[in-house]
Amino acid sequence: MVETTKKRNKIFNYFVQDEQFAGGVAWCAGCPMELIARLTPKVLGKNMIFVGTPGCAAPVLHGQNVGAWHRMAYMASVMTGVPSKATGLSRYYNRIGKDATVVCFTGDGCATDVGFQPLSGAAERQEKFIYLAYDNEGYMNTGNQRSSATPIGAATTTTPVGKIGKGKSNAQKNMPMIMLMHKPRYMATATVSHLEDFIKKLQKAKEKSKEGFAYLHLFSPCPVGWRIDSSKVIEVCREAVRTNYFPLWEAENGKPRITVNVANPKPISEFTKLMRKYSHLKEDGLAELQKQVDERYALLKTLADAGI
Amino acid sequence: MVIKHKNIFKTESAWSNTDEKMLCLDTGSWRTVRPVLDKDKCNYCGLCALFCPPQCMKDMGDHYEANLDYCKGCGICANECPRKAITMVPEGEFADG
Amino acid sequence: MVSAQKGQVRVITGNATGAYGAMLCRPDVIAAYPITPQSEIAEQLAQFKADGVINSEFVEVEGENSAMNVVLAASIAGGRVFTATSSYGLVFMYDALQETSGFRAPVVMVNANRETPGIHAVSSGQQDMISARDAGWVQIITENDQEILDQIIMAYMLAEDNDILLPVMVNYDGFYLSYLAEAVEIYQIEDVDKFLAPLKKQSPRQKLEPGVAQGCGTHGMEMGYVEARYKHTQAMERVKNKVDEIDKKFGDYFGRYYGGQIEEYRTDDADIIIIASGSATGTARTVIDTKREQGIKVGLIKLRLFRPFPAERLIQALKGKKAIGVIDRSICFGWKYGPICMELKVLTQELGSVPILSYIDGLANLDITIPHIGRVVDEVNEAAKGKPYQDVTWIPMEE
Repeated sequence: MVETTKKRNKIFNYFVQDEQFAGGVAWCAGCPMELIARLTPKVLGKNMIFVGTPGCAAPVLHGQNVGAWHRMAYMASVMTGVPSKATGLSRYYNRIGKDATVVCFTGDGCATDVGFQPLSGAAERQEKFIYLAYDNEGYMNTGNQRSSATPIGAATTTTPVGKIGKGKSNAQKNMPMIMLMHKPRYMATATVSHLEDFIKKLQKAKEKSKEGFAYLHLFSPCPVGWRIDSSKVIEVCREAVRTNYFPLWEAENGKPRITVNVANPKPISEFTKLMRKYSHLKEDGLAELQKQVDERYALLKTLADAGI
Repeated sequence: MVIKHKNIFKTESAWSNTDEKMLCLDTGSWRTVRPVLDKDKCNYCGLCALFCPPQCMKDMGDHYEANLDYCKGCGICANECPRKAITMVPEGEFADG
Repeated sequence: MVSAQKGQVRVITGNATGAYGAMLCRPDVIAAYPITPQSEIAEQLAQFKADGVINSEFVEVEGENSAMNVVLAASIAGGRVFTATSSYGLVFMYDALQETSGFRAPVVMVNANRETPGIHAVSSGQQDMISARDAGWVQIITENDQEILDQIIMAYMLAEDNDILLPVMVNYDGFYLSYLAEAVEIYQIEDVDKFLAPLKKQSPRQKLEPGVAQGCGTHGMEMGYVEARYKHTQAMERVKNKVDEIDKKFGDYFGRYYGGQIEEYRTDDADIIIIASGSATGTARTVIDTKREQGIKVGLIKLRLFRPFPAERLIQALKGKKAIGVIDRSICFGWKYGPICMELKVLTQELGSVPILSYIDGLANLDITIPHIGRVVDEVNEAAKGKPYQDVTWIPMEE
């Protein structure tokens, strides 16, 4: 019998609220967004109120007639209106002195594409709420169509591989960097393989959103769309960090700081081999992807080191 | 017009009300494999419970057990366990499977 | 009955009046994006805020779609809100207009009518209002600057009534009223408070609160959807009588009556009727008087409420009339008649086979002149005598 630690993992101490969701909800088996959605209210506590929008999250975040899948207050929105509704809520609650942590919960489709303009507007105005984008690099809820967050070479239903097609032909928007340029009060990238890093960033986002805009960009691979074995999802997140595909950093007032240092980043193939999203890539395609990863990391490192 | 419909919403527009109706899905029926723990190998590190997307691991004091009503059989717990204490076993091998 | 004190008379533009109207009603949250011919409203409100005249939250949004979303959410959270737009701005917030009425948020918005959409134009016309007529909003049209102010106050009284809970769009002709300075009596703010006070005595409306497990905008599934839609249309029906009630209360207190859903000018003994809306009504009154002196028994109906369509009041006012002319400041895609005329023609069963003549005029800042309206009266008069008539006339195209 191995000696047990007998002490509960200290990460549980970060949870200030009970489970808010029903035991069984219709998110795919192994979906990291389910983990994000369930953990977020546990960390942010009561008086979390969110604005949800169509996408993978909506079928569970929003109710069905009178019924709801969780115990939180929320407002549903079409994708063009999310941060603006959050603005209206946070401005009014602040005005009447009502304690509220307003959270936008959207996918990359909304954040980087159809809902980008109001996100940029709200960030520039430093509206006091948290915008949480779960990035599964595509429009997953409608069946894996490409978004501007889809990386170069990725196979999706609108950038499929065929006789001529080789997957997405241009690079993804560097969304975290774009949001950094707005100099929000706080922003961070995070993923669920690095739980404590994620949780601390949630807490910091809550604190800093009392003063200005907080943006969280969460890496959330889709086991169905990327064709990952559901059991490997957390491992995929971990490898994304270890290959610098998704570096973990944060920035207060536009000053980036890498929070999880990867001393010897692994080659991108360590990441791509865990999924079939990139299985069509030959050496040149893989090299292009590696180049994108390296360039993005170099830019981040330069800014972080510059300390401006 | 003779209205026979009985109002679903107490409100004028479409609002959900969890106190009136909380929904829950029988996701346990999705499973084709279920996690089985070798208690001898378990050191109560809690990673299986923390990484479980439906957060359905029950704290049994010195180990965790999946709530089979909701466990979807994704296998993350088995994959993440540092001690390889969990095995995913096909549902067919269980009497209640 | 108690009446309001005398207000201060200022000579201000229609836009500024819009801002004063909002200011008097003390909104909690204002969000507005500038667009010609409405920009001055946003500027005036920003100035009020900068001078401490209002303490509303003022959100300088990056687009009209955001403006409507901001005020929608603040309204659902329980606040009083205000916004203003025109033309393409109105169309840009179209998805938010739908959510606002669907969520039954009592938003009040001022819309400076301007040509939309299809052809780029920066000129007056009612097309923007027409293009949004199926968004589920209450739409009211005003004639002059004073009416803009008064209608904004009445709009809150209507929107926030628990019996109604619908967003209200107060329309006024861009360019004709937006930039026209007239003498406007600005009431004392305490009197406006008193007028709107009954709203506070209602039980609090459904609102979104953190910590309370209720969600706004749940999916409407099957009968849930149908029911919500049905309730919405029923509320629209209730608007009609409510508009008349509020008009009476407003007149009793502030001394100005507008007639409610429609205003009837010299219609009682009239043989023929002209129907107009907006600033052109002022011109029409002059023509009615002149024609009356010439012996033509003509009357004028000013259409104030457009959505919901004031069918009952119109039927009552038009019963027994021998011919009707409708002046539209917009067009209806798919029907040759102007939109207001087209909707009136739905009432043929109640009105009988009375000639209804459609006139399209006043597009793109081209004036609806005294001779134009004079011609309308003459032609409608001929139709009343049984002479052949043109059922639709684009007045500018015939010049």
